[in-house]
Amino acid sequence: MAASRKATVVLKAVKRIAVHFCPFESNVRSTREFLAMVGSEKVRATNMNCEVVAVVKHDKSEPVVDVTYLDGEKLVLKGANLTSSEMLSAFQSRCTAKDPQAQK
Amino acid sequence: MAATLCVKFLLKPGWLPFTQTVRHGSKAVTRHRRPMHIHKQKLLAVTKYIPPPRGPPPGAYPTQVKRVQEDNPLMLLMKRDLKKVFEDCKMVAVVQNNACNSEDMLMLKHRLYKHGITVKLFPNQVTRSFLRDSVYCNMAPLFIGPTLLFVSKEPKVKEMLKTLRASPQMTLLGASIDNTLLSAQGVVSYSKLPSVTVVQGELVSGLTMLTSNTASMLQRHPTHLSALLQQYVKQQSSSNSAEEAT
Repeated sequence: MAASRKATVVLKAVKRIAVHFCPFESNVRSTREFLAMVGSEKVRATNMNCEVVAVVKHDKSEPVVDVTYLDGEKLVLKGANLTSSEMLSAFQSRCTAKDPQAQK
Repeated sequence: MAATLCVKFLLKPGWLPFTQTVRHGSKAVTRHRRPMHIHKQKLLAVTKYIPPPRGPPPGAYPTQVKRVQEDNPLMLLMKRDLKKVFEDCKMVAVVQNNACNSEDMLMLKHRLYKHGITVKLFPNQVTRSFLRDSVYCNMAPLFIGPTLLFVSKEPKVKEMLKTLRASPQMTLLGASIDNTLLSAQGVVSYSKLPSVTVVQGELVSGLTMLTSNTASMLQRHPTHLSALLQQYVKQQSSSNSAEEAT
């Protein structure tokens, strides 16, 4: 899905990822795929303190991914009209932008 | 033609002609394409015939192959399995597993097996094509991505929820319990319901409350009963006298 060579996302700068979606809606495919990719073992192993939480609702609301970084910054991804690769690339770019700064 | 001949005859080097022919008339029928007047051009453009678009003639393109894929035998086998599962088990829960080590998976399966819940995995395509034909078509949007089915004969929801809470990667999406489709919150509220016997007992007690009240009253000491009846008669007579007075 993610065509980048570094298929795993580095979560070093992330505190918490909350994924809210309603499984009976038709626009949740990308959000669920994003959750599957971010919640995988390899990705979670990069940062064991990061919590990946999935909240399943039933109120026809839009699927939303809420990311909180260690420095307090928040990233909100509204997955209704996005593909999972787009969401992943945006998330990855921000993570790598924060990470080398911390490493440097 | 005469005008052009004249012009050529009078030309000397460095001499401009007095008159310059702006237009020269050609006759109606010419050998070259005569330039049309702008009005005529506009009229023809506006009133041009636009033929209706016709499709390709019937033999031109090869017919579109209709994608009705026949189920290969493996799919048929899996569908039969699914059908049996849906018939036998009262509770069918759909869970998305984001990542699971084999050890975690084993632990989970073991804990669930102790309560009689089996974990089944079917390809999403097979499940969706099966659900489309069956009664449970509304469950079809749940089956996207890596999903597992937790099936059991008895609806043991509390134990299942406890085990799922222990493993953070599993997300409960929905369940079909007793042929009723429930969302995640529906499952939680189902688990909080008291058992059938308790509910029946409550119903029976509510219905028999009145009769039990009268029975208990009659069974008390008869003097108490006679005092109550006397009070009642007094009240009746006082209300009668009040009515007569007004």
